[in-house]
Amino acid sequence: MTLEHYLIAAGILFCTGLFGMIVRRNILVIFMCLELILASATLTLVAFSRFRLTSGLPDIDAQMLVFFVITVAAAEVAVGLAIIVSLYRSTQSVHMEDLHTLKG
Amino acid sequence: MSPHYLEIFVIGLALTLLMADAFFPAREKRVIAWIGASGLAIVFGLLFVVDPAALPPDTIAPYYSADPHALFFKGLALIATIFVLLLGCDFMPVLRRGINGADNDRKGGVAESFILPLFACAGMMWMASATDLIFLFLSLELVTISFYVLVASMRRQVGSLEAGVKYLLLGALSTGMLVYGITWVFGATGMTKMSQLAVAVPGMTDNIAALTFGSMLVLAALAFKVGLFPFHSWIPDVYQGAPTPVTAFLAVASKAAAVLVLARFLDPFLNNPEIAAKLIPVLGVISGATLLFGNLGALGQYNFKRLMAYSSIAHAGFLLLGILGRDFTLVSFYLGAYVCMTLAAFFAISIVRRSVGRDDLSAFNGLARRNPALAFTLVVSAASLAGVPLTAGFIGKFGVLMGAVNAGYWPLVAVAVPAAAVGFYYYFKIVRHMFWEKPDDLEPLPVGRLSTTALALLTAGTLVLGFYPRLLERAIQDAPIVPIPAATANTADTP
Repeated sequence: MTLEHYLIAAGILFCTGLFGMIVRRNILVIFMCLELILASATLTLVAFSRFRLTSGLPDIDAQMLVFFVITVAAAEVAVGLAIIVSLYRSTQSVHMEDLHTLKG
Repeated sequence: MSPHYLEIFVIGLALTLLMADAFFPAREKRVIAWIGASGLAIVFGLLFVVDPAALPPDTIAPYYSADPHALFFKGLALIATIFVLLLGCDFMPVLRRGINGADNDRKGGVAESFILPLFACAGMMWMASATDLIFLFLSLELVTISFYVLVASMRRQVGSLEAGVKYLLLGALSTGMLVYGITWVFGATGMTKMSQLAVAVPGMTDNIAALTFGSMLVLAALAFKVGLFPFHSWIPDVYQGAPTPVTAFLAVASKAAAVLVLARFLDPFLNNPEIAAKLIPVLGVISGATLLFGNLGALGQYNFKRLMAYSSIAHAGFLLLGILGRDFTLVSFYLGAYVCMTLAAFFAISIVRRSVGRDDLSAFNGLARRNPALAFTLVVSAASLAGVPLTAGFIGKFGVLMGAVNAGYWPLVAVAVPAAAVGFYYYFKIVRHMFWEKPDDLEPLPVGRLSTTALALLTAGTLVLGFYPRLLERAIQDAPIVPIPAATANTADTP
């Protein structure tokens, strides 16, 4: 396993997430695709950190960012799901097609 | 006093108010806005006495800078937040209805509309100072997540929730791209500190593809926040659906902070000839397309908030033009002027929305007869947004255009000048509605004392800066956009 393997796997993950964001119409599925994008970023970070050895140890800066990304993603999901739940309570739907109040 | 205490003070104030909210009687939520605004005013005063040299050199200084640009943008964030809190005070009846529904007996949830802006303000102040990509990511997220809640806060109105969901999905996508972009910049250089990047990136010759890829991703993420083509699509919907004070906050403060971050991040990459050769055409196309989309999109709008959304896209195009011209003092001035005129327009929108109940342009019909003073302030703000001479907006636009001319971006100037001319049409549509359209009723439109004071200050600011731009120019000092502390400049050579 070289660095390239990890980067390609993460790249595929990123593209899957981006593709899903564009194609899928269910807000919850779109939200899951966003998590895929963040997962691909963390995988890339860990790979870069593991393969950039400074005096025999992995680079700690990148791993620190991984923890911050996980924390921020959790906060984002907490707020995001709350918004989606209140949207569902008022419109009884979580589909993008049903969001048509704002137009111009 | 070390500058990093400013943000700690703002966060402390916000946390205290969040706790205090539980003990305030429901009718007195206005007090929270007052305490918040006066606390921020004190922090604004402290901005003039902090000593950038007092930053702890080993623990804070590598991540946090207090250069003149950072201090100026902290000031902008504080002023914008103070006015947004006052605007929220004035807008409280509408907020209350949006949060609690028709059942007006339950008085919960209004205080958060005054406390969350404080968190966002601290985030923007950190954004202005962040010189480490990890710290930058965290402060940007603090702002973004606070805004998710603020935008969707009127949860009894489908429009607000819909705007919240759209902002959430696109904001989260931009977060993903930001992290992935930072990852690739780190992968190519092994650095996350901007001061190190500023030294190392201009001379780099290997890993150019990875660096370009990373910088493009971060550019895309920040383009979301600033509202640049092709990532501008959320702006009209979110601006229209969000509560008016939040829209004003998004339009002014969030944009200003993101513009500084964009300029800071791009600077090292634009100094590397190989990357700049790919980056500058992209930025040029983005800037031109943003100018065209913003100005042409605004032509057909009949909702005032939506019109302001397209106008804010158009202004983002000018701001990017200023960043391309590489003279950041012009961009700072533009943003200072933009804060005054945009906030004044949103104050007028919220006053009319409160008494008429709509924010269509037709709600402004005959405003000149119903309240001449309010109509006058809106004329000044529209004129300044359009760029009529002797207003702050004109000086800002003129400076940015001259910067682009001096840097030799002739094709962009050829797009920007007609785009600015198109702007005159839709800004004066507002004036036409106020002066020449027949109103539904001729009742005088009352304006609270608070709004009168705020509007007078903002209008005076717009006019005075137009006549005497020196006032603001003295606050803006020319300094390197990426501050390089002496200590890191030496160690950056050993990656």
